[in-house]
Order: sequence, then structure tokens, then C-alpha cells
Amino acid sequence: MRPRGGGALSEALLRTEGLTRHFRVGKLTSRQTLHAVDDVDLTIGRGEIVALVGESGSGKSTIARLLALVHRPTRGEIWFEDRPLSRLRGRRSRLAYSAAVPMVFQDPYSSINPAYRVSHGIVRGMKLHRGDLSRTGRGAELNRVLDAVGLVPAGETRRRFPYELSGGQRQRVGFAQALALRPKLIVADEPVSMLDVSIRVGVLNLMGELREQEGVSFLYITHDVASARYLADRILVMYAGHLVEEGPTEDVLQRPKHPYTQLLVSAVPDPRAELGLADARDVGEPPKVVDPKPGCRFRQRCPLAVAECETVTPQLRELGDGRRVACHVAS
Amino acid sequence: MRFVLRRLGFFLVTLWAAITANFVIPRLMPGNPALAMMSRYRGHINPQALHALEIAFGVKTHQSLLSAYFTYLGNVFRGHLGISLTFFPDPVLHDVLQALPWTLALIGSTTILAFVLGTLIGLVGAWRRGGILDSVLPPIFVITSAFPYFWLAMLSIWLFSLKLGWLPQSGGYDIIDTPAWSWHFIHDAVVHSILPALTILVTSIGGWILTMRNNAISVLTEDYVRMARAKGLSPWRVMWTYAGRNAILPNLTGFAMSLGFVVSGAILVEFVFNYPGVGWMFLQSVENQDYALMQGLFLIIVLAVLTAILAADAATALLDPRTRDVR
Amino acid sequence: MSASSIGATDQLATPPIGPKPLVAEVGGGRLGDIWRAISRNRKAVAGLLLLLVFVVVSIFPGQIAPDDPTAQTYPPALGPSWHHLLGTTSLRQDIFSQLIFGTRLSLVIALAVGAIATVLAVLIGVSAAYLGGIADGILSLVTDVILVLPIFPLIIVITAYRKNSGLFMLIIVLGVLGWSYGARQLRSQALSLRTREFLESARVRGERRLYVILFEILPTMTSLIVATFLGSALYAVLAAAGLQFIGLGDPNSQSWGTMLYWAQSNEALFAGMPWWALAPGICLALLGAAFALLNYAFDEISSPALRVRKLERSRIPGRLPSPADTTPAVAPDRSVLKVEGLSVAYATDAGPVVAVDNVDLDVGRGEFLAIVGESGCGKSTLLYAIARLLGAPLPGEIIGGRVLFQGQDLVLLEERELRRVRWRDLSVVMQSAMNALNPVLTVAEQMRDACRAHSKMSKAEIEERSREVLRLVSIDPVHLHSYPHQLSGGMRQRAMIAMALLFTPDLVIMDEPTSALDVVAQRSLMVQIKELQERLGFAVIFVTHDMSLVSHFSDRLLVMYAGQVAELSSTRELFDRPRHPYSQGLLEAFPSIRGPKVRLLGIPGSPPDLAHPPAGCRFAPRCAHVQPRCTEGEVPLSTVNGSVVRCVLAEEGH
Repeated sequence: MRPRGGGALSEALLRTEGLTRHFRVGKLTSRQTLHAVDDVDLTIGRGEIVALVGESGSGKSTIARLLALVHRPTRGEIWFEDRPLSRLRGRRSRLAYSAAVPMVFQDPYSSINPAYRVSHGIVRGMKLHRGDLSRTGRGAELNRVLDAVGLVPAGETRRRFPYELSGGQRQRVGFAQALALRPKLIVADEPVSMLDVSIRVGVLNLMGELREQEGVSFLYITHDVASARYLADRILVMYAGHLVEEGPTEDVLQRPKHPYTQLLVSAVPDPRAELGLADARDVGEPPKVVDPKPGCRFRQRCPLAVAECETVTPQLRELGDGRRVACHVAS
Repeated sequence: MRFVLRRLGFFLVTLWAAITANFVIPRLMPGNPALAMMSRYRGHINPQALHALEIAFGVKTHQSLLSAYFTYLGNVFRGHLGISLTFFPDPVLHDVLQALPWTLALIGSTTILAFVLGTLIGLVGAWRRGGILDSVLPPIFVITSAFPYFWLAMLSIWLFSLKLGWLPQSGGYDIIDTPAWSWHFIHDAVVHSILPALTILVTSIGGWILTMRNNAISVLTEDYVRMARAKGLSPWRVMWTYAGRNAILPNLTGFAMSLGFVVSGAILVEFVFNYPGVGWMFLQSVENQDYALMQGLFLIIVLAVLTAILAADAATALLDPRTRDVR
Repeated sequence: MSASSIGATDQLATPPIGPKPLVAEVGGGRLGDIWRAISRNRKAVAGLLLLLVFVVVSIFPGQIAPDDPTAQTYPPALGPSWHHLLGTTSLRQDIFSQLIFGTRLSLVIALAVGAIATVLAVLIGVSAAYLGGIADGILSLVTDVILVLPIFPLIIVITAYRKNSGLFMLIIVLGVLGWSYGARQLRSQALSLRTREFLESARVRGERRLYVILFEILPTMTSLIVATFLGSALYAVLAAAGLQFIGLGDPNSQSWGTMLYWAQSNEALFAGMPWWALAPGICLALLGAAFALLNYAFDEISSPALRVRKLERSRIPGRLPSPADTTPAVAPDRSVLKVEGLSVAYATDAGPVVAVDNVDLDVGRGEFLAIVGESGCGKSTLLYAIARLLGAPLPGEIIGGRVLFQGQDLVLLEERELRRVRWRDLSVVMQSAMNALNPVLTVAEQMRDACRAHSKMSKAEIEERSREVLRLVSIDPVHLHSYPHQLSGGMRQRAMIAMALLFTPDLVIMDEPTSALDVVAQRSLMVQIKELQERLGFAVIFVTHDMSLVSHFSDRLLVMYAGQVAELSSTRELFDRPRHPYSQGLLEAFPSIRGPKVRLLGIPGSPPDLAHPPAGCRFAPRCAHVQPRCTEGEVPLSTVNGSVVRCVLAEEGH
């Protein structure tokens, strides 16, 4: 896989500023606020693959749904091609954005409607977003996208029902649905985590190929750090709703700065390496971020914690070479 | 505790809905059929009672609808349900309370028995999948649960009483008896209740068996049941504490949800057997156009069903720790 | 519907781990499939035929009935005869003709009420689920209130004010009050659908709400909607008959309920005209039974778990050894477990499927053996066959082989004898503690159950031992008296491991105990398991789909493919020199976190359908090194430098 240089990005396709999403939880009498995502600034360049990694509950799927307009931000702004999404007015402009930023889902067994043939989602997308296409035009385009994601022969696949396909094939249908909209950025939420190992690489490679051939950017959301390294140009690490570290994938994973990133990287099983038992003694779990007080959210598990971590929420700091880290101690 | 409070709230809302339906329905009917009934009271009862009836049925009141409604609510909560025409001049409440014990004894105990038996049979059937119990009973009970209650009642009278002469054909006790707490009377009442009880049992047990069986089958595929087997627990323990206790939870909800249906059928059974309970009296009042009694009985039926549901909820709270947690 | 057939094959393709097949759960599917499933179900066929008969009768009553049902021209109270098949009434009418003409009204009421109630139930149930929030709260409250109100008495109250108000009114009242049960069920199914990603996908695509409800949600709920219709039709038949019976219908109408009303008021049973009362009741019961049977059949069709399939052993290829082997069961002293030729088959609609095919393995004392393979390779089935825990949801049967443990063959033991071995000497840890711990018992109660089953420990001793094992897995004993739902995911998983160690067994069988956890928690749990194993000396069989996870923990590694052993060798050897092309492919499918970045290829294709395994080597269709002889016949296991490999190339030292 040929990664593109992380620093040499010409322009941002999408960026967020202070993106925040809170959910209200609990019953009427005990209303609480769950901070799913707090103050996230991220940038995705044209033709770039950015990996967003973190544990379950870290807020990475919420970011995907904010970008896909499923949720509205509590605070903050998303800019797409230098236009703020909060100014998106009317169904037409929302549809235009949805076509440019489609999403691919995690569970291949639930992301395709079992009552329809696999062509259903693809054709619906074209009807909604590409009104210029005639019936035959849609047919040709359907074959093209099925071909592009490797579901050949397309003429036969399009007539199949989801249950006739394997998990990997279903996930390819998900990408075909996205591709039919002529997307600029595909938000892929854990697209391989439910697939068998032998099939995963195929889907990862597919994403790489789509970037090369169609120029699509990807936000690749995953908890699998090794696959992020395989695929992504840059990596963003989330912990408990905060972005804690970002930078070119190779730099971050080989020399992680944030203590959480270090813990995460050390926990990834690597058959080719020696086992570092000392790193693996951590039995803590990420906190539930309900009505949080200021301070670093990793401090209870952090070997480097100092007094400042208790009171001041660390902000992302520039470290040079496109790397940023949110930690008072790391350098 | 929150669970119980929530269910208590539901109890009150439903009761309120029933009382309100009672208030609204007579007013919605074109030509106000209650008018005819009211004329039969006039001159026979005191003006105060008459006024209460007028409010209940929306006849000739000069009150606004809203204030009539609140007066009505107040009357209901103080037990002022009016005067019965059928048993003139008894207050409705008096008649209702007289019929209630019969119904509680017959329908109440039969329903509980059907539920318990059905749940047991369903659990055992699911436990011995493919066994005799499991392959014979469900299809039979699918069909019996489609039987009209009242027809089965007629059938059983014809068979057991008329043809075989084993059991009395109607009533709650022999006409020559007078109700008393004597051994003779109780024996007589029990003998009279066997046929109606059997009718209700046969028609209602199928539903409990089928739902429990289906619940238990799905619970038996749960990991914790396999885990219990792996632990080497006795089959008895696995069946009760691991499979049964979890499978009965949805069945308790089902009990609460279909109780109204069971009671509806039981009313007709009482009617066929001339059994002196709430259902029989209810249909008598319908026939005599004794709307005050009819509505009073309707309320007591609702109250009884709701109380049973509350009991089922309490059992759920007792058996399922997840409902007890404030989260 | 797809649900029945697919549920089965999907279950084989992806047995216990991984996602459950959606189709089976949701019960969605195509009309063609639904039709095929119905025609295979005896109850459904019976119900349909009954219904068909009634429909025909209701359309052509004049052609079928011998007489005019209203004519009062016959001798009263005749018994059955050729002229009057069921006799005549005391009102001088022909009972049989009345019966025939009465069909139409009962059927019309059933279908009309069914339709009204279903439409209302769908509208209210689905919108409640889809809108959520306050709208859902209000709609569900209304649904529940109407559901628990005794509807029948309420209907009586309403109709009592409007006696003889006609058919139309009756249908409306029954329909308007009869939707609540269906609405409740539809709501809860729609709620479970709400988390389905295809709905989110439709919204993200930009579909309008109405489209999502009508064209994405409803088609997947077909079978429940049909069930709602059947249920409310049944309710309508019974309720309408009841109303007519007590005289609240139109007494001049032609219906079975009205016949019963006249029969009752003329004391038909006592006056020697039993058929007057019996026949309409039988018809009502049959019509009701038609709806009930169809409803029940639909339930079975949409949840395959409700059906029992029998394993047809005769259809299994006969090359498997029989379980009743007479050689004495003696395990070699160094191994704690020895499995020989173990085979397991499942019953499916398409016949038996051999999911575990002739597996041999042994586990030494204190050894850590890992079994890896993809979903559907039979690894979990093998594991639960060893533990003799097959049965729903893994309804396989052992069809051959031996499992030697402590000098006895577990396959031959009765359940009662097995119980003595269980937990004391052989315990099990499952994939998800959330599902494996009984939700209604505290951790302490579940530990006590196990202790009581196998020892005479006192209450205090049990408590002490429970605390001890919790401390072993770094859980504060204050959590002992918690219910499972009160613990965090990681803690539940540890608690289950603690429970497995209550008696410090010889062998602990673990089925993906870490795969529900995040990487960091996964790593620390693995380290802990390994430490405990070394300290306490028990052997472990550890099933996983992720071979990199066990790379530093297992002594030996067994790679399974399509129900067979593909390769078995020491972990180090397998990672350094994988001999089976499938093992090689698996290893090359893992991106590395530290090594050089190379383009990976994965393995093309997907695992075979075990109902029709390819001839010869089962990996051949995906193998890059395939040769003609691979497909010629069964490839035997061969031993190369201590590794056991099923590949023709291995014999040549490839």
C-alpha cells in the first residue's frame, strides 16, 4: 500500500471545529448529560484516508453519525468544501451533501434490507441523488459500481438477495451503494470488524483501490489499530470523547506520544513481536463520560499523571511534522 | 421501586380511562337511550339519587359538561354508582359486591389455576422437546383456544349434565339452599362450579401453554442455560431456576395483557350457566336496560382485572432484579 | 419464507459466534419464500384448506344449501334426516341451510375486523416505534390502556346503548377496539428493527420518513403483520359470535352467533334439537381454528427455533466410525484429554450436515491448546461436543468418535454420570458473560449453585471460596452479591472465569472469552488467564477466530477449516513455518502493527457450504497451490516434523 505524504495536503475536503455532541440520559428525575464527543477538530483532505481509532464508547461512531447528518452537533461546526453545514438549507442541499458524504456500516448482516434484492439500495440512491440518470443509465451505473467493488458478474449479483451473499460480499454491496452516489468522502464505520480474517484484507484493499481509482477520501473508523496502519495516511486517536492524538499513521504508531496511544498500541497482539507483559497489566476501563468535570479523562489510568491533569483538560498541541497530542506531560 | 411506581401510575391511568369511558359513552349515543331508563326511576327514588343518575347519563342536566364530569368522578370515588332497576331499590354498589365473591371464586381461581398449570405444562413441554407432551398438546390447544367459550359451556352442559347427569346444569348453588357458611352449602357451591370452571380452564389454558412453551424454547437456547448444564447442576435446578424463572417473565406480562380477554369469555360462561356472578348480572342489566348497574359492573370488572395485573407486575418485580434497579 | 430455510443454512455458515442471521430474527422475506414455507407446514396447510372451504361456502351459499334459510315451512324440531341433514328448529327452519347461509357474515366480520385492526395496529405500532420520544410514550400508553381494559364488556356497554345497530357498527367497534395487541407486538419488533443499520442507511441516504416506514420497515415485518391480521380475525370471530349470542347483534341476521342465540333462547339442547346448538358452534370453532392454526404456523415459520428437526443418520456418508467402539478407554497418562475421530452432524431442512468431521486432538496436563478458524469452521461445535453441551442453539449430535477424559469416554456417559465430571474437573467459559450468567441470580447465587452441586461445602465455606476466586481474577469481593447487569463488561467476563476456577479443574474450555472486549481489556485478560493457568496448572482449550491473539499464549495451535483439522502444531512453529496453504493465508491476512508494510492479499473466495463440501481437499477452491490430485480424493493428515497437516504438498516437505 502506498501511503500519501501526511503533511503535503493541498486542501481540506472536510473539517470540523469544536465538534461536540451530548446526549441526555436517565429519567426525568435524574437527567444527566453523556458527553459522547467533546471539542473535536479534525481535517480530512481530498483523496486522503484518515483512520479514527478508539475503544467502544470513545465517541468515534458518534462522529461518523455527525458527519452523516444523523445527529446534529450540540456545539461546533462541520465545514465541507469550505461551506458550513449549519447553513445547509432545504432538502436539495442536504441531499447534495448526503451524496457527497455517504456512509458504510459495520454489520453486514443488518446493513442491507433483507426484504429486497441487493440492487435496491444502490438504485434508490441513484433515484434520490442522480435524477439525471435514465432507467437504462441507472442499469449501466449499477453494473459499473458492482464491478468496481468486485461483485462480478454484476448482472448476476444484482439479482441476489442479501442472504445469498457472504459477509464480505454484503460489505462490498455497502461500498457499491456509496459509490453509486459519486461520493467525495466515504465514512466507513468499522467496515471490517465483523468479517472473517481471511476476507478483511480484501475489503481494506478495496478501500485503497477506490481511493486510487475514484479519488474518494475515507474516514476509516476502527478499533483495529493494525488495519489502520495498513490503510490510512493519518490517524486520529480518541479516548472518552476527546481526540487525544493525531498525526501521520506510521509516526504515531511507531512513536506514540499520548500515554493512552502507547497503551493501545502495546495491547495490539503481534505474533511477530515479543510479548511485553509489563504493558498489559492495566485492568482499568474507559470512564462513562457523564457530566464530566474538567481534567484529563485518562488520568486515572495514566502512569504519567500530574496534579495539573486533575483540573485542566489538556488541549491538542502541535508537535511539528503534522503531529498533535492532548497531554500535559508528553512531548 | 421505580418499576412498581410506574405500574401503579399505569393502573390509575387505565382506571381513569375506564371511568371516563363510562361517562362519555352514554353522551355519545344518538337519541340518548338512557332517557327511557330515567323515566322509569322518576317518582320512585329520592331527588338526590335521581340527580346523581342524571349526571351519570347526561340527562336533563343544566351543568356544564366539565362540572358534570367532576361531580361524576366524585360520585364514583365515593361509591355512589346509582340505584339498580333490576334489583330495585338496591344501590348498585350493594348488588355489585354481592356478585363479586362468586366471580372471584370461580373466574379468579380458575384463571390462576389455568395460568399456573399452563405455565408448568409449557415449561415441561419445552424442556422435553419433541416428547409426547410437546408434540400432542400444542396442536390440540391451538384448536381449543379457538373455541367460543359460551359454546363450550353449552356443550358441556349438554354432555355432562343432560346426557350423563353427573353435574348440575346451572346456577351457583341449589335453589332450595340459602347461602351460608355451612359445609353443605360450600359442597353444593363447589359441585355447581365444576362445569363452568372446567369450561374456562379448557379454553384458556391453551394460550398459557403455547406462550410459555415458546418462551421457554427461546430461553433454553440461551447461554446461561448451557452454562448451568456445564456446571453440572441437576436438571431440576436448571429447568426451574435457570430456564423457568427467566421464561416466566414474559409470560407474566402476557398474563397481564390477555387477562381482559379471558375475563370477557368468562362473562359468557357465567351467562350460560346462570352463575350468580358479575358476568351474569352484567348481562342481566344489559337485557333490562339497567344502565346504572351495567356501568357499575363494568367498573368492577375493570378494577378486578387491573388488580390482577398489578399482582402480576409485583411478581415480575420480585422475580426480575433488573426491574428493581433504579437506573 | 426465507427465514425457515435460510435460518438453517446460515446457522451452519456462522454458528454460534458472529452475528445471528438477520432474516430469521426479523422474519422478513419474499412472498415466494413465504408461500413455499407455508406449503411445507402441515398446520398451515390445514388452516388454509379450512379457510378455503369457508370462503367457497360463503360465496355460493345458494348453490350449496338445499333450502331457503328463512323459510319457516318445515315440521318443527325434526331430527337429522336426508331431507334435513341437521334437522329443523322449533321455529320450523332447516338447520343445515341456516348454517350454510350463516358462513358469509362470520367470514365478512372476521376479514373486515382483521383488516381494520391490522391497519390501525401497523399505523400506531410502527409510528410509535419510529417516532420515539414523547409520541412513543403517548401511543404506547394508549395501546396498553386499551389492551388491558376488558374490551368485550366495553363493547357490550357500547352496543347495549345501541341495540340492533347493524353489521357496520359491529365491525367498526370491534376493529377500533381490537388493534392494541398487534400494535404492541409490531411496536416492539419495529423497535428492534430501529437499530438495524439498513434503516440508518436509508436515512443517511436521505430518504423521507414516510418512505422509510412504508418501504423499508414494513416489508421486513410481513410475517408479523400477517400474524396480527390472523390474530385479530380470530378475535373478531369469537367476539362477534359472543355478542350475537347474548342478543346484541341483529336477531334477524343470518349468522352462526345468531343461530346460537335462538338455539339458547329456545332451549334447543333440552328440547331434543342438539344440532341447532352444536353445529354453529362447531363451525365457529373450525373457522377460529383455521385462523389459529395459520397463526401458529406463521409463528413457527418465522422463528425456526420452534421447529424440531430430526437428524437422519442414514443420510450421513457412512465412512464415520461408530461411537460404540469397544476398545477400552484409557487415556495416555500425559494427556488430560484425548479426542479421537470426533464427528458432529446437524439436522437441516436439506438433510444432515457434518459440521465436525473426524477430528483428533489431545491436550496435555497444563497445556494451552488454541483452536482457530473462521466462522462456520466448526470450532465451537467441536468445543461443545467435547464438553457434551450440544443442544439448542447448537443442536448438533455426535455421530462418531471418542472423547477420553479421566479414563472414561465422555461420549458414552449418561447425563447423570457426566454431572460428576462437570465443573469439578472440566469447566467452561463462554464468549459473552452477559448471556452466560443468569440475569436473575446474583454472582454469589450462581457460584453457590455450582458448589452445592459438587461438594458438601457449608454456606460460609462457599462464601469464602467465592471471594477467593473473585480475588484471583482481580475483582473486589464486594461485587459478589451483585447481579450480572450491575457489573461492567470486563468484570462480568472475569467473574465468569472466576466461577470456572471454583474447583480448580483439570481442564477449562474457553469459547472466545475475550472477543466481546476492547483491545486493551482483551490483552490484560489474556495475560491474566495465562498467569492463572501457570499458577494453578489447569489445561486450556481456547477457541478464537483471531490467531494473533493467542500467538503468545498457546503452546499448540489447531487450525480448523470446513469442519476438519487443517493443521496442528506448536504455536511458534505454526507462526514461523505454516505448512497448510490456509494457515499461510490466514497469517498473511493480518496487517502487522510493527513489521514492514506490505500489500496483503487475504484469501480469495469464501468457505464452502458444508451441506455440499467440495470433493477432496476442502480448501482446494481457494488455494493458490491447487493441483489435480487435490480434488481426486480425501486428503489424509500427514505428520511433518511434529506438525500434523492435511495437504498433499506437506508430504513433500513443502
